[in-house]
Amino acid sequence: MNGDGADSVLLRARGVTKRFPGVVANDDITLEVHRARVHCLLGENGAGKSTLADLFYGVHEPDEGAIELRGEPIHMVSPRDAIAAGIGMVRQHFELVTPMSVLENVVIGTRGEAKVDLRAARGRLGELCDLYGVEVDLDTPVGDLAVGQQQWVEILKALYLGCEVLILDEPTAVLTPEGIERLFATLRRMASEGLTIVLITHKLHEVMEISDDVTVLRRGRVVRTSLTSEVTMADLTRMMVGRDVDLAIDVVEAPRGDLVLDVSGLDVATESGRGSLKQVSLQVHEREILGIAGVSGNGQDALFDVLVGMKPADAGRILVDAKDIAELSPAGRLEIGIASVPADRIHQGLMMDFRISENLILGRQRSDRFGRRGWLNQKGIGEFADDSFAAFDIAAPSPAHVTRVLSGGNLQKIVMARELAGQPRLLVVHQPTRGLDIGATEYVRRRLVEERDQGAAILLISEDLDELLNLSSRIAVMFDGRIVGEVDRRDATVDRIGMWMAGVSGAPGEALA
Amino acid sequence: MNTDVPTTPGASSGSLLRRTGWRLERRLEVKPWHEVVTLVGAFIVGLAICSILIAASDKSVVDSYRALFDGAFGSRRAVYETLVQATPLIFTGLAAAFAFRARVWNIGGEGQFFAGAMGAFFVSDLWHAHLPRGVMVPVLFIAAAAAGALWASIAGLLKARYDTNEIITTVMLNFIILLILSYLLGDLWRSPDTFYFQTVTLPESAHLPLMIDGSRLHWGFGIAVAVAVVVHVVLRRTALGYEVRGVGINRTAGSYKGISVPRVTVLVMAISGALAGLAGAAEFSGIHHRLQLDISNNFGFVGIIIALIGRLHPAGVVVSAIAFGALVNGAVTMQIQTGIPAALVDVIQGLSLIFVLTGAVAVRYRLQRTRSDE
Repeated sequence: MNGDGADSVLLRARGVTKRFPGVVANDDITLEVHRARVHCLLGENGAGKSTLADLFYGVHEPDEGAIELRGEPIHMVSPRDAIAAGIGMVRQHFELVTPMSVLENVVIGTRGEAKVDLRAARGRLGELCDLYGVEVDLDTPVGDLAVGQQQWVEILKALYLGCEVLILDEPTAVLTPEGIERLFATLRRMASEGLTIVLITHKLHEVMEISDDVTVLRRGRVVRTSLTSEVTMADLTRMMVGRDVDLAIDVVEAPRGDLVLDVSGLDVATESGRGSLKQVSLQVHEREILGIAGVSGNGQDALFDVLVGMKPADAGRILVDAKDIAELSPAGRLEIGIASVPADRIHQGLMMDFRISENLILGRQRSDRFGRRGWLNQKGIGEFADDSFAAFDIAAPSPAHVTRVLSGGNLQKIVMARELAGQPRLLVVHQPTRGLDIGATEYVRRRLVEERDQGAAILLISEDLDELLNLSSRIAVMFDGRIVGEVDRRDATVDRIGMWMAGVSGAPGEALA
Repeated sequence: MNTDVPTTPGASSGSLLRRTGWRLERRLEVKPWHEVVTLVGAFIVGLAICSILIAASDKSVVDSYRALFDGAFGSRRAVYETLVQATPLIFTGLAAAFAFRARVWNIGGEGQFFAGAMGAFFVSDLWHAHLPRGVMVPVLFIAAAAAGALWASIAGLLKARYDTNEIITTVMLNFIILLILSYLLGDLWRSPDTFYFQTVTLPESAHLPLMIDGSRLHWGFGIAVAVAVVVHVVLRRTALGYEVRGVGINRTAGSYKGISVPRVTVLVMAISGALAGLAGAAEFSGIHHRLQLDISNNFGFVGIIIALIGRLHPAGVVVSAIAFGALVNGAVTMQIQTGIPAALVDVIQGLSLIFVLTGAVAVRYRLQRTRSDE
């Protein structure tokens, strides 16, 4: 089995495009998954991996192009069709009935039989468990199982329904290192028994460890499909974060000014322990962009939240212009000139059912400019909306339209117009170009540079290395909640930062071995 | 290739590959006329289904609905009475709508109605002899609003402070206020000259004036419509209304941009309670002029239905409250003329609500035919 012949192609996406309001999630994707191999889909958050998996599983239909199974186009209206065709999927959020036993959960998905033969089902499941070396007690209520164990139940469900292709969406997110090892061993065994595995991940070392083939996705497009044995982690990093030379913005830097943001020894715990901050220290000056690189889930969310006042710090200090802002609410921080562009513009940044003009003043509805003694100043709001439309080139029918109708790029322009309006002292930006097309991306980046030139201190948290290399004066890398390295842009290389991002250690500031 | 892999039933059947179907696509924008069509459609479907019930009991559908309509709008007197029925529902409908706009689920309109009526009675009982009507009536309305707000604030504060589920607390508060009232009616507030659980009837200085002499239509209706306008203006034109709508749309984004969700929650609950309290004042001072346990015809609960059917818009609330007032009022005539139980109206109400709610979801989508692959 060499994976080359056309015969061995089991599942194929042919020119598949899927759009959602505001984003092109999958853009003309073509890829082939070969029989009895482990195929990784690798990409950052928002690269389009999950959407592609949903297309394979019939959750969505492609707007253009087709999914083919065994060389024939297959038309799926729902996962039911996918299952009937032999495609199974374990999604990130499990679909289990927690009070019922493992056995019951597995048979609950079988259709068409009035009576379920539990004895036969038990026998069949036992065989499957033996075949692949899965150890789960069939009579335990699913609710009593650990999350990692529940994932096995999902896998068993898919196997029991007779899947030939098993798609797993970020399966290791809920597993301990030992759990991951066991999962990978089992997946290997499944592949050797003839099952085809599609594994979605954003972790490089997992790709290297488990897969035969890897397809890197970036911004909804396929960067490349390769044999895993023929690529290195550095290659994959480069493909994942991209090398959009044409997006390079000609940055002429003015000398930086006074210290604005001074963070030292910051600890922020999270409930799950994932994504917490440990002893983070960093400084940002006037006319300076500090880039924060890192694979998502390494503390970036906590860093953003603690700076804008959504999360309290457990230890450490945050000074802005030498004043401690720990006690300031999000509103108080807005007032002293801390503006922010959140990573998830739809959930954290905008009211999708507000008018566009209303979103443009979010946070400043009680300011003198937009209101007086509790009344909204309709005229002021209208004028500001018109100004913003002109200044940011927002493509919308009118400011009175509901925000929901806009595309992703225009949504981000609204957030930017709002946040940049007050000439912020400090701008905290998280993933500002995620999901945007090239044009909007370039626009957003240019505005950030302009803002810097006007004197703002900017903290740019991004997973897009190219963006960081383009815009930042300095780049710090986060891994596991810590800043593991910081370099001046002049000395920064993709390889060096990529290694830090991948968790390959090296003392901060030290060249890598 | 290893053949031990469990094979797939039906995997090779070709029919699956060439199937066409319909698929729901989300509409980007729901236009106001979609809402109106939903509302009217729901009422019509509700009436249509009830006509099956009428026909099943061997009555004429046309005659029955004509009697229903005559009873509601057939004469000047009927119209006034319809508006009398609608008055408390406008207030409680606004109360629910205002809270629901912020996604604060105040189910305690009934209790806040009673709190309002009790506040109104308390100040009227105290001061009716000393204050002229022109002062007494505004004072009792203010007292009612304050009492309703206070009672609702208990749930609001618990929600803001401890994230207590407001659905449960507001429902519990309904029971508590009713029990307090029955205690008072049996003891402190009981009228000395009656055997019933009721207070004395207060003299005219505590009566809300009539809008139309010779009818029961009091100024409570006028106030209710005016309050609906005020609620609309507050929601659309003030920073508070902006924050209320914002919290209802997306709390996360709201808090990121400095809106204090707990503060808004408490305020919304208080204002919602005040609106329900006004309904209590209107019924007390416009109709009954005394307190008794049955002064509410489930107004607090029906208000929730009114709010939902009115799509949480003040104008929609006024319209659906009048429609419900008409149903309640017309049902009496229908029962007398055709013998169809007035309870049928509850069925119409319930069905309309179900269809409005399904319609409200359905209107966000459109059907799209999916292409077939040949």
